[in-house]
Amino acid sequence: MNIEDIKVMVCDDSMFARKSMVMFITSLGVKQIIEAADGQQAIDKYAENKPDVVFMDIVMPVVTGIDALIKIKETDPAARVIMASSIGTQQYLKSAIKAGAADFLQKPITNDQVKQILENVCKGVI
Amino acid sequence: MFSQFFGGYLLNHNIVSREQLSRALDEKKNTRMRLGVLAINEGLMTSEQVEHVNVMQQTVDLRFGDLAVQLGYLKEQDVDDLLHKQPTDYLLLGQALVNMGALSNEGFERAINDYKATLKLDDDDISGDQYDALSSMVSEFYHFSTARNARLYTNYVTLLFKSLIRFIGDDFTPLDASICRTAEGACIVRQLINGAYKGQTIISAEPDEYRCFARRFAKEAYFESDEFDDASVSEFLNVINGLYAVNESNETGTEIGLEPLALFRNEDVPLGEEAFSIPVQFTFGEVEFIVAF
Repeated sequence: MNIEDIKVMVCDDSMFARKSMVMFITSLGVKQIIEAADGQQAIDKYAENKPDVVFMDIVMPVVTGIDALIKIKETDPAARVIMASSIGTQQYLKSAIKAGAADFLQKPITNDQVKQILENVCKGVI
Repeated sequence: MFSQFFGGYLLNHNIVSREQLSRALDEKKNTRMRLGVLAINEGLMTSEQVEHVNVMQQTVDLRFGDLAVQLGYLKEQDVDDLLHKQPTDYLLLGQALVNMGALSNEGFERAINDYKATLKLDDDDISGDQYDALSSMVSEFYHFSTARNARLYTNYVTLLFKSLIRFIGDDFTPLDASICRTAEGACIVRQLINGAYKGQTIISAEPDEYRCFARRFAKEAYFESDEFDDASVSEFLNVINGLYAVNESNETGTEIGLEPLALFRNEDVPLGEEAFSIPVQFTFGEVEFIVAF
């Protein structure tokens, strides 16, 4: 798969975090980007769009990122969800891994980390 | 970070004014270090000796180092060592203040020696980025040792200042802290800490300063809107609180969580407890950080 063909969902209640990541992902050539501002929107938009990879924050209103991850994995066990959170304590890491996260990025997330993830998605490594 | 706290010391002791310090912070990037200030800092020359060389230079066509050697104040090896020394940030600040006339060589000598003595720091402590030296500087500046939860305040505020340098810029001066029970400001962002212990963290500023802070954090991703300013300042607070939580988890095994961020515009926010108000003077204006554990 080429980077132009992948569909990416960015879920974060912070407009700043969403816009920064969307801006960078767009610069890499990704054309299909879906944004979600809370966990419930992530669940709904995942079902609707079936993205190839999801970047998901944890601390969010309405439904947390971990709960959204569990729901998404229930409906699609092959879902690739990368937790991208400011809080990467042992407890959060364990919860994310247990819920089926493909990877965990601690904020502030660098462009290189995002690029690496997307390249791995293209290669089918994640 | 020594430079920022040295600036705060100069301000709090009325050695320089806020305007002079702000100008010096702006100018230090273009400031060329002079041998005299370096020699005073190293304890190789007194301010009187530096002044003497400066005066002599007006009548003799010799460089500072050569003249200082001729007058017996320095050895040739000292001059060589000083010329190869990388000027640290606080020295550039000191030099900028001396160049502006805000501080004499003697004033600089007294201030830097008093400040190092107050903190019981040596040159190795302040030239590097050693965590222990930074946290003892923060703790001493804000007198956290007398506070309940001194460790938490020291760790959080040290991380806050390191993050300001990393994400916002190094052109700031920490001002004296005070105790408050209410957050007041036109633009306020708050994040509560829960879990093994409770806490609250706040950033408060007037609209212009708030926007400048947001713009600095967002960098090239910035676009002008009130909503984006809120998002950017909130994300800064969220990121440093996340790093703090991870440090706590790694160092002490303490698990804490973060609540979603809350925004307040033009309203006083009661804190329900005593908190440390930590104002920070940037070159674009003042931003207040409030912390309670």
